[in-house]
Amino acid sequence: MKYIALILLVWFSTNQAGQEIYVCKNATVSIYSKAPIEDIEAKTDKGTSVFNAATGELAFSVPIRSLKFDKALMQEHFNENYMESDKYPQASFKGKLAQTPDVTKDGVYPVMASGVFEVHGVKQSRTIPGKLTVSGGAISLSSEFIVACKDHKIEIPTLVFHNIAETIKVQVNATYSPYK
Amino acid sequence: MKKSLLFITLLCTAGLLKAQTIKKDTAAKNSTDSLMNTLSAPEKGEPVIATFKATRLILSQTTETVKKKELNFLVIHRFGDIGSSAGGGKTLWGLDNSSDIYIGFEYGLTDNLNIDFGRSKFEQMLELGLKYNILHQKTDESMPVAVTLIGKTGFKTYHTETTMFDDYANRFSYLMQAVIARKISSALSLQVSPIYLRNNIPYPFLAGNEKNIFALSAAGRLKFSKRMGLVVDYVHPFSNYRNNSVDPRFYDGLGLGIEIETGGHVFTINFTNAQAISEFNYINNTQSSWSKGQFRLGFTISRIFDFNKKHKSAY
Repeated sequence: MKYIALILLVWFSTNQAGQEIYVCKNATVSIYSKAPIEDIEAKTDKGTSVFNAATGELAFSVPIRSLKFDKALMQEHFNENYMESDKYPQASFKGKLAQTPDVTKDGVYPVMASGVFEVHGVKQSRTIPGKLTVSGGAISLSSEFIVACKDHKIEIPTLVFHNIAETIKVQVNATYSPYK
Repeated sequence: MKKSLLFITLLCTAGLLKAQTIKKDTAAKNSTDSLMNTLSAPEKGEPVIATFKATRLILSQTTETVKKKELNFLVIHRFGDIGSSAGGGKTLWGLDNSSDIYIGFEYGLTDNLNIDFGRSKFEQMLELGLKYNILHQKTDESMPVAVTLIGKTGFKTYHTETTMFDDYANRFSYLMQAVIARKISSALSLQVSPIYLRNNIPYPFLAGNEKNIFALSAAGRLKFSKRMGLVVDYVHPFSNYRNNSVDPRFYDGLGLGIEIETGGHVFTINFTNAQAISEFNYINNTQSSWSKGQFRLGFTISRIFDFNKKHKSAY
């Protein structure tokens, strides 16, 4: 009986250690930009993310085409003229958390992720602040940051009548489940 | 004995499990990347967007529809002959004349179904139609082309002293059209379109002219920048009467132009021999020829208004 308990204990502990990879297949990503004529706003819940709690490695990817706007014409122009989503279908982030909090303890941890942020085929080294929340064993990550169009060679032509802001606010939310 | 056996079993199990975790650990280094790749594999079979910038090229309608609760307001203009006896400096190369003016509205009942209404100066034609984008080109080539069906009715409102409109039905014409388009690259889009036209009374009303005409149109757009493109548009009616008629002579419609998109507007500036804007008029009755200087400057202004209620900002 004592041994069985011991076996179970070992099995549990090793199993726990094996569960350091977390995935999210429905990360929400929204973009927002305040502009004089009309605000630019779009949202998707088709983002994917992988988080390795042992190493702190973090990866995000969003299909550009999945971003939905209220105005169909704005969505078309976003894809066709600005993001060129047929050529650059994904926006992504690949990096690492500076410090990985203990994900076995509930809490809200401020985190910093450093890595490569790729939009419109242009890679930028970025350090992005975020918030990691552990609640009842569930891990979620959220972040808000600014993307400058010119950093990613997204051209805003002078011919366009709509005033388009040169920076876009991006909000990301991902709730993870253990990868088996 | 029993105790030591159990102990060995435990050791083995623990060792095995340990080995497994180590394996998992090294795998984890690469697996973040590979896992990401499998997770974020792009979705297959997205519909191709923006085959054309607008619902109109020069002569032709495109496969594009106005999206749900959007209104497209169209102003299309054709000036007078640049060359020929009607052109030249005395009419500022046709700018003093307007051979046709079209004002139109296209409204999106759904993303794929539009109701269109318009009025031409030429023949004082009113027209009402439906346009349905039945097939979308797909990015994975499961559907290589987009297909849009158009059906419309034309109605001539003018007063005449002849007996031509004694039968009221003679004021009506009907058009059925299938537009088949393919976005070959982000710069190049082509379309072909078989057209069936029915006039209750032949138009122009001349002896031997047919009531029913088949026509084929072909058009293309080549973008030379993100917002500008070259447009070519051609239509040929299959009509024995038109082929053989000497006076008047009939010609195929051919237009060349530049398309400019500026956000909510699309402008097309073009040259065409066809005087009229509506299919009912230019397919039936184009009597002007490029080679005789009977071509004109024209433009199309397309402006989209959006009536979708904006939902409250999440910010």
